[in-house]
Amino acid sequence: MLLADIATLLVNSLTWAMATFLVAAGLTLVFGTLHILNFSHGGFFMIGAYAAYSLGNWLTPLLGGPPSVVLYLFGSLVAGVVVALLGLLVDRLVLRRLSGVEDAYVLIATYALLLVCEGATKLVWGLKYQSVMPPPALDGALLLGDAVLPRLSLFIIAAGVLCFVGLEVFLNRTRPGRLVKAIAADPWMARLMGVNVRRVYTATVAIGFALAGLAGGLLLANQTLSPSLASAFVIQAFGVIIVGGMGSISGAFFGAILLGLIDAVGQWLLPGLPGLPFFLAMTAILLLRPEGLMGRRT
Amino acid sequence: MTHFDRRQILQFGAAAAGALALPAHLRAQGTPLKIGLITPLSGPQEFIGAYVKHGAEIAVDQINKAGGILGRPVALEIRDDKANPAAALAAARELLGMGINLHLGGISSAVVLALAPVMQQEKGVFLTCGAGTEKMNHEAYSPNLFRPGDSPDARGRAQARLMAQKYPDVTRWTGLIPDHEYGRTMWSIFVDGLLEFYPAIAKKKPEILDPIMMPYGVSDYRNGITAALRQQVDGCFNATYGGDAITMFQQARGFGLMNRYKVVCDAANEFLVARGLKQQLPPHWTGMHYYAAANKGNAMSDRFVADYLAKTKDPEPLGWAAEAHAALYALAKAAEKGKSTETASVIANLKGLTWDTVTGPRTMRAEDNQAVKDVELVFIDPANTDKGYAVSQYVKVAGKDVILPPAPGQKLKLRTA
Repeated sequence: MLLADIATLLVNSLTWAMATFLVAAGLTLVFGTLHILNFSHGGFFMIGAYAAYSLGNWLTPLLGGPPSVVLYLFGSLVAGVVVALLGLLVDRLVLRRLSGVEDAYVLIATYALLLVCEGATKLVWGLKYQSVMPPPALDGALLLGDAVLPRLSLFIIAAGVLCFVGLEVFLNRTRPGRLVKAIAADPWMARLMGVNVRRVYTATVAIGFALAGLAGGLLLANQTLSPSLASAFVIQAFGVIIVGGMGSISGAFFGAILLGLIDAVGQWLLPGLPGLPFFLAMTAILLLRPEGLMGRRT
Repeated sequence: MTHFDRRQILQFGAAAAGALALPAHLRAQGTPLKIGLITPLSGPQEFIGAYVKHGAEIAVDQINKAGGILGRPVALEIRDDKANPAAALAAARELLGMGINLHLGGISSAVVLALAPVMQQEKGVFLTCGAGTEKMNHEAYSPNLFRPGDSPDARGRAQARLMAQKYPDVTRWTGLIPDHEYGRTMWSIFVDGLLEFYPAIAKKKPEILDPIMMPYGVSDYRNGITAALRQQVDGCFNATYGGDAITMFQQARGFGLMNRYKVVCDAANEFLVARGLKQQLPPHWTGMHYYAAANKGNAMSDRFVADYLAKTKDPEPLGWAAEAHAALYALAKAAEKGKSTETASVIANLKGLTWDTVTGPRTMRAEDNQAVKDVELVFIDPANTDKGYAVSQYVKVAGKDVILPPAPGQKLKLRTA
């Protein structure tokens, strides 16, 4: 029984970690490159989820039968594209104007953008709670001995790991990715070398927002859909990028795993105090390493 | 520049003195009677606040069509409390400062408890439209605070009694309880009811396991769900609420948790979870402030449903709308009875008041400002319809049979396992 508990606990913690990482990935990418802490990221994650929800509602009756995994993934990709386009608009209207201004203005501007996202969501989709059933292939659970492993959890873990690997390959093994890293490290030098920094910034914003939309689609069947979805995720996403090190993709990935594990073990050992070990751990990590697990000391 | 002669000054003076000498209600005749509505219109509880707002607006329209209160038209002054005590206090102080003494709204327990002292200090009256705290009628009792709807003890004990009647063999119980005051209170009351009604009705002693404490307002409940899987029980009481409850049920589905229970009894989600989950819904009992279909034939309810449909296009108003409606009618009747909208008179006339509502007549207990109201419970199944769910059973429990005796100023005393 103990082994089954450990397996379930591990899968639970990884599910939380990868769901959080999927949301945090775009946030930390944009911060690492543009040094803009985008408070509205959760809002665009939410719009991605609603976009995938609407697409699924429209396509499922047309295609007939229960929704498939392929349709679910297609909806997530479309949500990513829709939110990327919104990101380009936001970049043109808001983010470009924030370069070089004080952090406080950036926070206020992006927080205002979050409120705009919430207001727009209420106008378009209303206030009602919605939920989406996972496709039949992702419904139910695998039984590993006594351990119950929900298929949706395994899907979320796989999606998070693939997203991480994809981003790592992109940033470290491709020319555009290396360009993003180079500009993040020293935009002035990149400009001297003839790189169109503005264009790379815009592309980074599009990728960051696309990741938010993609996360919204992939996590659609994981939780309630409501205009308060943004705040439910963005706080934990900020938690993992702060613990992992601001701007570090691998920091967010491993920070999420660490915090997920601490939360799961904490709830196992202290069931009457849910959430407490998580915040204690976050505090301890930040006291010991204020720059985060994989952040650079400034 | 206009110059007034002595005669004109005397005429103005006499007119002003005469006007001031009139009774206040005659002076105010024809001017709108403003009533404060303090409810969440943004944030996570906005969805429920919208029901409260619609219910109050419908009541105001109906009252105005019938001639208003003491001949004065009623107008709502609406403020957003964000379900946050600080915002609610700021709103209340603003409205009280405007001279508005009659208020309703407040669906969050923390908000209602925060408003009690300011209402007492500034001589206002506040009627909650769904806050579940038992403290407002017990250790935090305030004469200026009223609950025209279900008391948490009546609701929780009615549910426990129903479980003992319908499921006498389900004697091992646990709870999925949000880690906040309301959740812990509802669980304690339900346990009190199990400990009273199982021995009395089923002739069995219930076994109560430690509840699973669920974090509040998070996106993942899997650790709590896994802990619940480890328990061998037949009955489960759920007090998670709104979006949290939907997420929890959605994630529990993957583990097959709800299929393990012979019965699930939900504290207060009405149709929120059913509307969110549709076919994913686990069959369960839930408590309602008001179930429209069961109150068909009550003229007030029929009119309320028609007006609600016309206003919102929603044919099935949920209980929070009905609570706001009932609160406004209580204020109207208390004012009419005392022929005054002054605070002292309204308080005196609310105490012991019996008034008509969409769920039938209710009486406000004079001792602790708590209405004695029948508890409405429904069993909801998933259904292959557009709505996605259907009510298969409805039970009305007489409030007077399950509500605990009034004890203002004292802590609620409950049995413990």
